[in-house]
Amino acid sequence: MPRQASDATAVRVAARVRAAAAVLVAATGSFLPDVHGRQAALFIVLSLVWVPLASTVLFAADRPGSRFALYGGPVIDLAVLFAVQVLLPDSREAVLLGYLVLVLFAAYTAGRSAATLLAVAVMALTVASNTIVDAPDRLGVTAIVPFTAALLALVLLQERLVRQEARATAKSQRLEGKSEAILARVADAVIVTDPASHVMQCNPAGERIVGRPNAEIVGHACVDVLGLRKGERALDCSKGCPLLQDAALPEVAGGSPLDIQGTPGVEVWRMAADGRRQPLLANASSVLDPDGNVVEIVHSIRDITSLKQAEEAKTLFLATASHELKTPLTVINGFAHTLLHYPDLDDATQQRALEAIGSRSLELTKIVDRLLLSSRIEAGRVSVRLDRIDLLPVLEERVHTLAKATGREVLFRCDVTALDVIGDRDAMVTVIDHLLDNAVKYSPEGGAVAVDADMTDDVVQLRVSDQGIGMDPEQVAHCFDKFWQAESTDVRRFGGTGIGLYIVHSLVEAMGARIDVLSKPAVGTTFVISLPRVVELTDGDNAEVDDAAASVAGAGEPTSIREFMRQIGVPAARKEA
Amino acid sequence: MTTAVVLTNLILGAVYTSYGIMTIFDLKRGWKHFGFSHFGMAWIAMAFTCGPHHLEHAFHLASASRGGLFHVVSTIGMVCRPISAVSPAHFALTFGRGNGPGSGGPLDLAVVLVGFPAGVIWFLLRVEALRGGRGDRFVSGTPKWVAALPVLSAVYLVAATIAAIGILMRSGAAFGPRYTPNLLLLLVYCLIGYYLLRTQLANREPMGGWSVSGLALTVVFPTCGVMHAVFVVFAASGRYDVGTLGLVIDWLAVPAAIYFVWVVRSLYHGTVDDWNQATTGATTDVSAAPALVA
Repeated sequence: MPRQASDATAVRVAARVRAAAAVLVAATGSFLPDVHGRQAALFIVLSLVWVPLASTVLFAADRPGSRFALYGGPVIDLAVLFAVQVLLPDSREAVLLGYLVLVLFAAYTAGRSAATLLAVAVMALTVASNTIVDAPDRLGVTAIVPFTAALLALVLLQERLVRQEARATAKSQRLEGKSEAILARVADAVIVTDPASHVMQCNPAGERIVGRPNAEIVGHACVDVLGLRKGERALDCSKGCPLLQDAALPEVAGGSPLDIQGTPGVEVWRMAADGRRQPLLANASSVLDPDGNVVEIVHSIRDITSLKQAEEAKTLFLATASHELKTPLTVINGFAHTLLHYPDLDDATQQRALEAIGSRSLELTKIVDRLLLSSRIEAGRVSVRLDRIDLLPVLEERVHTLAKATGREVLFRCDVTALDVIGDRDAMVTVIDHLLDNAVKYSPEGGAVAVDADMTDDVVQLRVSDQGIGMDPEQVAHCFDKFWQAESTDVRRFGGTGIGLYIVHSLVEAMGARIDVLSKPAVGTTFVISLPRVVELTDGDNAEVDDAAASVAGAGEPTSIREFMRQIGVPAARKEA
Repeated sequence: MTTAVVLTNLILGAVYTSYGIMTIFDLKRGWKHFGFSHFGMAWIAMAFTCGPHHLEHAFHLASASRGGLFHVVSTIGMVCRPISAVSPAHFALTFGRGNGPGSGGPLDLAVVLVGFPAGVIWFLLRVEALRGGRGDRFVSGTPKWVAALPVLSAVYLVAATIAAIGILMRSGAAFGPRYTPNLLLLLVYCLIGYYLLRTQLANREPMGGWSVSGLALTVVFPTCGVMHAVFVVFAASGRYDVGTLGLVIDWLAVPAAIYFVWVVRSLYHGTVDDWNQATTGATTDVSAAPALVA
């Protein structure tokens, strides 16, 4: 096997040079006038043996780690040189030079063992050639022995030097690369300080957390750079790193690898550059020299903002979901209790009670369905079936259903007779229902809810607008987040679980469509969905499409090149993972 | 005899050279979208060595035979005339040539004629594809003529080998380095033919039949290889002279063919990117419909 990437390249280049040389030499031989006897035999051998074998090595060399290319190439070269030596004795000096180059190249690419074997083979073949060629053309043994010995010595020396250098370089690069890669890729900030709490080193994650470039961190006091606080108290580094004391981290001896796995972290916080409170999980470990003195302190700091937000969202969700579930359950429970304990109620009252139970049960079902759909989206278990659908009847039906259910007027405007899009009908029903529910819910004063649909050359645009409470830009930025709601729990007026728009966004994206939000506080909100349109082709359009396809070789299949590829069994496009 | 060999070689030469030109246009069209195609370039290189080889062979044969250039002009003139206008003397002069040096023999004509239909069919299919047609025909199942192809091939090879040995034995062949490129081409073309045959056999079951385009290509390469081998036999027996131009073309054909095999093998192993990696149509992965809540 090649020892490193450069060797593989060398093998590949050598294979190409060998194949080119074989063809060139063989061709030259066939053009020479008056080639007879041994010369003719040599050129025939070169043509019919060397060219095919060199080509075979050329083909093999493209496969990484091909042993045939690595060892077969030099062996073929050796055989060719031997053939030249025997059939053209006048060229023996050139052949000896060829042997030298061959063995040295083999030492570089295939290693010492292969090169040594080749050197021995060179000696054996050279001696053997003396028994074949005529006496005047023979090489003296005195010339062969020192030549071969020198060859071997060169091989061994070259191999030793190359190996030593490669080993040292590889080790150094491995350690350096490993260390750099770990520090660069690790998600936690790693900040190294001296015993006096001045920062010596900071990785990219540290720069991100601190919000400053490395130049403004290294050399500065830890307290100035990080400004960590625990509770409302600023951590004081003047008497040693407080994280070491708080976390009671084990100390490790200098020179040995740090092992901070499993050590406890301290929850602290700092004021970020944008003025927000940045929660962090920090720990520290000291590095000791052989005398037991602290030489460095390694801090590991993790930004737990998203973790905290997730916790808050979860808490919020539990509160809102419980509230949402409890309201219909209370109604159901109350009416069921009434029906159970007051059997003498008149029929009309009983009927109203049963209807209330039914409608609240439906409400409960909807909430639970939303929660289930949300969890399935989260788990990646929801897929859409993309097909050609006419959105117009879907819109008309959903608008009519909502108007009937809520008693609210919903304006529906569409100037075309069909809205053919690529999408999933069920998913579109879910999306439209959620947006309409949302529009009605957030326009409590009875403002108009409108649905508009139009189309351009490429897309069908669907707008659902309300004249409700609207959102400010920050709220717009978060409105598709799961469990997010525009109002905090303390001032909530509208109910809901905070997953409706998350579902809408997920389904729209799954269909390859796009959703945008236009909103202004106290004015209203418009959600705009852009779906890819199905274009009906006229004859003229078809011609245009054909021309376009024809202009792309391959699109106007079958082209000659692709057809030949197909017939010779070249594998088709690799599927993207 | 010589005239027929000249004519068939002229047509084959024109067909392969035209095919090279078509492939250049193909490559040019696709380059800006899919990048450079090693496969296309290798195929062009082969077409532009194979076509000129046949053309050179035809002209060399025509000019070297008795009558020289007159023979070529006479041949073309006769082909262009209505049959009623061809005098018996002209016909005899044109086709009734002997078997002396520089004249084509029955074996040469036979091997060219065997490869001729396949080469022309493939070419016509490519022309059809270029004009927006299908570019292929499907043969359902395995009809008798397809089933007979292996037997016919074996008979053909045995007959050609016996005829070649006979010619060599009669003439006392002298083999030299000038003939080697043709033998290398025999080797490489047979290898390409093997790749094509392997693919056709593999495709047969899933397709439930055969592609005419694929069968034609599969036949073209080995028959082309045999043509080169017979050329060597005729040259070694002293019947054909290997001209410098022909030798140059054949030695250019060798690296072209090696390049082609290198590309094909690299594509098999995925070490070279080519147009086979370019997708031309979007496909939608249809999955089960979701049970969405309203």
